[in-house]
Order: sequence, then C-alpha cells, then structure tokens
Amino acid sequence: MSKFGISAVVMLMALFIDGAGAQELLQSPARIAEPPAPSAGSQFINPPARPTQPASVGDTPLGLGEVLDLKTVLSLATQNNPTLRQARLQISAELAKAQQAGLYPNPTLAYAGEQIFVDVEGDTDSPGEFQGGIISQRIVTAGKLSLSREKYLRRAHVTEHLAVAQQYRVCNDVRIHFYRALAAQQRLEMQRELLKTAEDAAVTARELYNVGQANRYDVRKSNVMLQRTRLAVQKAEHEYRMRFRELTSLVGLDLPVGAVVGTLATTEPLATFDGTLARIVAESPEVLAARAKLSADRITIEREEVEWIPDIVFSAGTGYNFDARETVAVADISIEIPLFDRNQGTISQARADFNRQRREVRRTELTLRQRLAMVYEQYAMSFEHASEYRDSIVPEMRAAYRELLSSYKQNRIEWREVLQAQAEYAEVRLAQISYEEQLRQSEVLIQGYLLDGGLNAASGPMPAGHIDSVPKPR
Amino acid sequence: MRYEKETKLLQSAGRREFITKGAIAAATGVTAAMLASAATAQEAMKMPHAHGHSQKPIGSRNAKPSIPAGTDVREEYDGYSRFKPGRGNDPDSDYYLGKLVPGFRKTEDGPAPFVAPDLEKLPWEMVNGAKEFHLVPMAVEREFHPGVKMNVYGYNGSMPGPTIEVNQGDRVRIVVTNELPEDTFVHWHGFELPVQYDGAATLNQEPIKPGRTFVYEFDVHEEGTFFYHSHVAMQEAFGQVGWFIVHPKKVFDPPVDRDFGLIFQNFFVGPNQTVSDSWSMDWNWHTINGRSGPYTTPLVCKHGERVRVRLLNFAPMQHHPIHMHGHTFWVTGHEGARVPKSAWIPRNNELVGVAQASDFEFVANNPGDWIFHCHMVHHMMNHMTKQVGPRIRQASVDRYLANLDNRPSVEAAQRAGFNTPGYPQKMMGMSMSEEDMKIYWGRREVQGMRANYLMAVKGLMTVMRVLPDDLYELVMETDQPIEKGAVFSEIVRRFGDPDHYEPAPKHEMMSMDG
Ligand SMILES: [Cu+2]
Repeated sequence: MSKFGISAVVMLMALFIDGAGAQELLQSPARIAEPPAPSAGSQFINPPARPTQPASVGDTPLGLGEVLDLKTVLSLATQNNPTLRQARLQISAELAKAQQAGLYPNPTLAYAGEQIFVDVEGDTDSPGEFQGGIISQRIVTAGKLSLSREKYLRRAHVTEHLAVAQQYRVCNDVRIHFYRALAAQQRLEMQRELLKTAEDAAVTARELYNVGQANRYDVRKSNVMLQRTRLAVQKAEHEYRMRFRELTSLVGLDLPVGAVVGTLATTEPLATFDGTLARIVAESPEVLAARAKLSADRITIEREEVEWIPDIVFSAGTGYNFDARETVAVADISIEIPLFDRNQGTISQARADFNRQRREVRRTELTLRQRLAMVYEQYAMSFEHASEYRDSIVPEMRAAYRELLSSYKQNRIEWREVLQAQAEYAEVRLAQISYEEQLRQSEVLIQGYLLDGGLNAASGPMPAGHIDSVPKPR
Repeated sequence: MRYEKETKLLQSAGRREFITKGAIAAATGVTAAMLASAATAQEAMKMPHAHGHSQKPIGSRNAKPSIPAGTDVREEYDGYSRFKPGRGNDPDSDYYLGKLVPGFRKTEDGPAPFVAPDLEKLPWEMVNGAKEFHLVPMAVEREFHPGVKMNVYGYNGSMPGPTIEVNQGDRVRIVVTNELPEDTFVHWHGFELPVQYDGAATLNQEPIKPGRTFVYEFDVHEEGTFFYHSHVAMQEAFGQVGWFIVHPKKVFDPPVDRDFGLIFQNFFVGPNQTVSDSWSMDWNWHTINGRSGPYTTPLVCKHGERVRVRLLNFAPMQHHPIHMHGHTFWVTGHEGARVPKSAWIPRNNELVGVAQASDFEFVANNPGDWIFHCHMVHHMMNHMTKQVGPRIRQASVDRYLANLDNRPSVEAAQRAGFNTPGYPQKMMGMSMSEEDMKIYWGRREVQGMRANYLMAVKGLMTVMRVLPDDLYELVMETDQPIEKGAVFSEIVRRFGDPDHYEPAPKHEMMSMDG
C-alpha cells in the first residue's frame, strides 16, 4: 500500500471511530494533528475539530466565598487588620512612657555601719561608731519631671496622628484593593463576553467552511482565536483570585474566593491639583505627626536645658553610736556641682534634633507634593479617560454594534462583521474598566492623603538613632 | 392635429394615473379588507387544503377571450392563436410566433400610450414652434423599497428622470436648469443633432454651472427608443437618466396595445447608508424604474394583446441577460432604431449591454403571472450577504438586540443540514414588517397574485401579468378588494390544471424565511 493509501485509511478509520473532526485529535502529547497530507482541497473533509478546553492548573473554583461590599470589607478590616491594633498599642506605649517619666524618684533606705572596730572606752573593736538606718530622698529641681512627662505626652500625640495615618493606610488600601478586585471581576465578565464571541466565530467559520466561503486555514485560525480567548478567561480568573486574596489579606481574614459587589465608576467631580495639595498639606496625618513631633522636640530642648540644674539629695537617719553609747542622728545634703558637665552636649543634640525636625516637617510636605504630583497626573488622566469612555466611546461603540446588528437583521451585512463589532464593544468596555480602576485608585489616594500600605507595621514617633537610651525615660 | 394626439396621450396617461391614485385613496378600505381577509385566512388555515378548490371563483366564470367589436384583427393567423400558447405553422410565415400579429388597437389611433411604471412624464408647452420642456438636474430621494429612501441624483424630483415623449419631426427645446451643487451636462443619447447641443462634457459646450440654465434645441428626425443622461460619469452612475421616447410618424406596424418602458439600474449602498456610492466596483441594489423587486410594479396587459416592452440597461458596468417566462418575444428594435422585420429575432433571453435598449414585442397569449427578470444570479437579489450566523441557526437577531451588553451564547452543536457540504444555499431571513406588507399589497397591479409573490420577485425582477378581460377589469379598473391568490387560482381554473394546484399558504407571508 502506498504512503498516501495508508494515511488515507488511517484518516478514514479515525473518522469512523470518533465521528466528525476526530481525525484531527491525536493522542497526547500532540493535541493538534498536522494537516492531513494530500487530501485537503481535493475531497471534502470535515473542518478541523474545535480544540478542547485548555488545562486549568488545580486552583480553587471561584465564587465559593462570601459576597463582599465595600462597607463590609471596611468594617471587617477595622476589626481585624493587625496594624490598627499595633498603632493603638504604640499610643499606649508612649502614654506609659509619659507616666513613667513623670514619676517622682523613690526614697532610698540604707543601713549604715560606720567606724566598725573603733576602740572605745571599755571595748576595743566596738561594733562601730554608728550603726543605724538612713533614709535619703532626691529632690528633683527645675520641673524636670513634668517636662519629661510633657515630652512623652507630646510624643504620644505624635503616635495618635500616626494611628490616624495607619487608619488611612488600611482603609485606602482596602478601598484600592476592593476596586482592583471589582475591576478584575468585571474584566473576567468581559473576557467571558469575548469568549462567547470567539465561540461564535469558531461556529461561524465552520458554517462558512460548509458553504465554501472559508477554508481549513480560516477554521484553524478561528480555533487559535478561540483557544487564546479561553486562556484570556483563565488569566482573568487568576487575576481575580489574586486580587480577592490580596483584599482579604488586608482585611485580616482568610476567606475563600467569593464575589465583590459595588460600583467601579466614580461620580465624584474632578479635584484640582492646588486645592488637593493645600488640603493634604493642611490635614495630612503625616504632616500633623511631624508637627507634633516638632513640639515634642521643643520640650526635649527645654527638658535638656534644665538637666544640669542639680537635684538636691537629702539624707537623714538615726542610729546608735557605740562610742558615745547613745542614739544619734545623721543628716546629709548633697548636690552635684555642674562644673564640667552642664549637659552641653545633649542640649545641643536636642537643639539639633529640633532643627532637624523642622526640616522634617518641610520634607514631609515636599514628599507629599512629590507623591501627589505623580498620583494627580494619573488621576487626571484616568478621569479624562473614564469620562470619555463613559460618555462617548463606549456608548458610541455600543451604538455601532447595534447598527451592525440591525443591518444584519435586514440582511445587509454578514455575521462576521457583527462579531467583530461585538468584540470591539467588549474591548472598549475592557479599556473602560481599566481607566475606571485607575481613577478609583488615584481618587482614593488623593482623598486619603496619599497613604497606602495597609499591612506595613504602624510606625513609631521616633526616627531611628534618636536619643532615647537613658534607662529612665526623661 | 398632432398636438391633439399628444393631449390624448397625456389624457390617457392621466386616466390611468387617476385609477392608480383612486386605488391608493381607497387603500384604507383595501387595507381593512386585507386584514379581514387575513383573519378569515387564518380560520381557513385550520381546514386541510383541498387542492385547487380552496379559492372561490372570481370574475365571470364563463368569460371567453374576446376580440373588441369593430376591429378586423383575428383570433388566429396561419395557425398562430392570440389566445393560446403556440408557434403557428411555418417559421417563414409572417405570423410565426405572433411576429406580425396585430394588436387590437387600430393604427389610425396612433401609437399606444407609453407607460413607464412608477415614472412621471415631463410636461411640455408649445413655445415658438418647439415643444419646450423644463428639465432640472437635482439631488433626489428615491424609495427603492417601502420606507427605504435612497439618496441619488435625478431630474425634477425623480430618479430616473421623467419621461420625455415626442413625435418624429418635432422640434424640441429643453431648458435645463442645474440645481445640483456642481457642474452638469445633459446628453441626448442617440440623436443626430447639431453638435453644440450634444452635451458631451466640455467637448461641445461649457458646463452648466450650479443654478444656471442651458437651452438645448433641435429637430427630431429619428423615431424609437432613446434616453437622456448626464454626461458626468459619476452622475450617470448616481442615477441621472430618463426616457426620451420618439413616436414614429408612421405608426409601427403591427400596432401594439401596450408600450411599456423599464430602466434597469444598479447602485451600491452600504448598510446603514442611504447615499449611493457611485465609485463602488460592487453593486448591491438593483432597480427597475427606481424600485427594487418586489416593489417593482408589475406590467399588466390583457389576454390576446400585442405588447411592447422597451428595456434600457443603465447599470454602470453590468450587462443584463433579460428573460421573460411563458412567452417567446421578438426583438424588434434597439436604441438606435427599429429593426427591419426581416432582422427581428425571436428570443426568450436577450442580453442588454450597458447603455443599450432593446424593444421586445410579443402577443400575450398565455394568461398568468410571468416573471420578467435579469438572469444574473446576483442581480436577482438585493444586498446579498453571506448566509451564516443567527439567521441560519434559528436564533432571532432580536435576542441580541434585546441586551447588547450580554450577548446570548452560541450553540456549538450544528444543525443537521451541516452534514451536507454546501448547506445552506437558500437565502434565509428577510422578515418584512406588517406596514411594508400593506404597501406592497396595496397596489392594484398586484391584486390577486399568489401570497408568495413577494418572496419570488427580488432585485432586477418584475412581473408580466396577462389577464383575461374580466380579471383585468377587476384588478385594474375597480377598487374591489381581491383576496391574495384569487386571480391566480382563477387563471389556473380556466387555463391550467386546477386539480394539481396548491394555493400559497397566506399565513407564512409575514416572514420571507426560506
Ligand atoms: Cu443583470
């Protein structure tokens, strides 16, 4: 039997085994057969088979979890996001420091035995000239304690602002990820629309093949498009799962992938750059924290400036004098003479810290301006795009699609043109979703003082390396 | 004397117009009757169709073909009967295939009135010894189908332009006032006139500027089938043409009873468009006298009459093989001149080239509704589109229109027909609104035709209706409502094989689904 004969027989057998089109499916690993060698175009063969659904690597199916709306996720996040608790604990820690710093020093109770073994009348090696208890108390001068307490109270104020900032970080991030999940969900829907169109195109290619208006190349090409669109749907599913899990991580819960409900498109009017910047600079919790820190630093200077004023330490006690054989008392006042150490170094460090913090306020304002510069342009650009897509491009494409549908209904155009318009309509809606998503994200940032990163640990009031190494906070 | 004859011609045209308009005026009544008859038809549907006998007889049942009193024409010439299909005895006979069988009209009565269905005649006045016509090139809207108003160019509000009708030997003056926004020229196709009036763009004259007037004046020594058209190529393709009929001094012999004129044109009009694309190399709308089948108006004549059809192909680049069913016709003239009888050709199909006209003559000896059409497959339809998608999947397009944002999904499994390579070949879809149906069926010329008539006549198609006298009068000279298919059934009853005839089911007519 000739080579041609053999392949023809194999093909025919395949046809009988699995009906129409089965000749194209070989066993794994080759899923798509080579073109049947000599016969294409010389005798009728059924069109190439539709490809099977591409493998989907074992992942949890979508839609098992809860249906979440923005209000719900925000309230869940408020309850469960650990950084918010951290931020509250930072405040407690600073308040505790303030309390500690204002505590008055404890009196010291000592037992003293002096001049033990002194020879006294009637006894050599007496127990001592003095054996007794002494109580001493440091008298803190110059309001050091209240200054210290004030300093830490102000730092606690800093942490309050930082906690507000953290609240924004979490809520903004939740909002952003909610809209990302919503956009991903809508993109998935749109990819499913495109899939229906690709499936239709594959059926249409077969219809055309049957009337000689398409050839095997066209049918295979429609298979390729179908498969690519199926993969695009799977990709959109992956993206959605990722977005949903990111969202639930921020919320602080481990939820199975469910659905989100909400409106992606925003109806807020456009905010101006200058207005936004002025508002952010005036109200941003980061700036407020920096200003509060500046005021803490001012107290720090005051505190350090009184540090050299010596405390007075009084001691008094009573005991028994074995020399005089009577009960005696002792009294002692001591005071450090600030001769060499008048705390000059620390004072100047505190002043430096204060001045540094003044620049920090400015630096914070400038960073905000810099961050806003980028966010704002993206915001303005996506605002333009989102409005234009909403008001003009999408309705126009929708109308164009409708025109073609009614032309098809009147037998004036062919179906393939309608399919093309359908795909274009889905594609402009896909683009619209992306612009609405971008707009939402930048709008959230702009309204939320440019704060994001809802899983970054809440920051403390002090920059690293600040003087804070004294055992008792001061 | 000649002027009187013209007036008579115009009057007879006017009378016909009156009848037509009367029919339209009565349309409300007709419509109501149609609806009523549709209702009864639905009841009738429940009954099994008896072959042939479902339609009640109409007209005078015992009517016999008749020859008008006082004429000397006969029923039979050399074995050729004017009332029965047949060829006659001898191919060399003058009467073979009805070649010289005269019509009922007397030669002395002058030429039969020229009728171009759906077109008006251009009026004239005698001014300084010439028939003066006023022709206005302009942009016009033409209703190719009911409600389908296409933008083309024409003359005096019409596309094709109104018919100029004169007599051999007349002097004509045509005052052309250009209402187009661009230059134009009018060419008098076929006339041997002084060169300055030939109208060939700038070769013979300066352009007629927008808003300006140019006067053409010449003597007509020709007779026959002529036409006028713009001599700007794209204006021609955009529709600018009209009949110029010259009746001979010596009436053509044998005399005819009917003289019909059909101008075949084609256009390309994109979907969602009404403006014809004259630059197109493709043609999707085909018109006869400015209408597409089934909106073309049937030519109606009486059994036994001698009929002339003048047919002009004014397609931009497509030749038309024209075929008429049920009769063999003689080609008796072209646009150049009447052909000497010795050179007449009997045909069933005549190829009419671009800018050619042919005159067909035959004796209407076979009653019935006979399709008269271009035989090119693509010309038998309008705007053909590939037969794929919902229309062959039995999924209505309305389902897609109902929700544009979420289209229905497609069934992957194909219909059984797809086991046959080549399926489907039959054009499907084409639903028609009830309003359109009323307009199509509201015309007197189509009364009593089979209910499927609208499905049969598309593109470059019209119908030659040969009716016995009584049915002709019923259809054309009364306003009586006539049930769909009634005239046809009656003809089958009288001339055909009623036991083997099945009337068209009327209820299927709301959709043209094949
Ligand atoms: Cu043709």
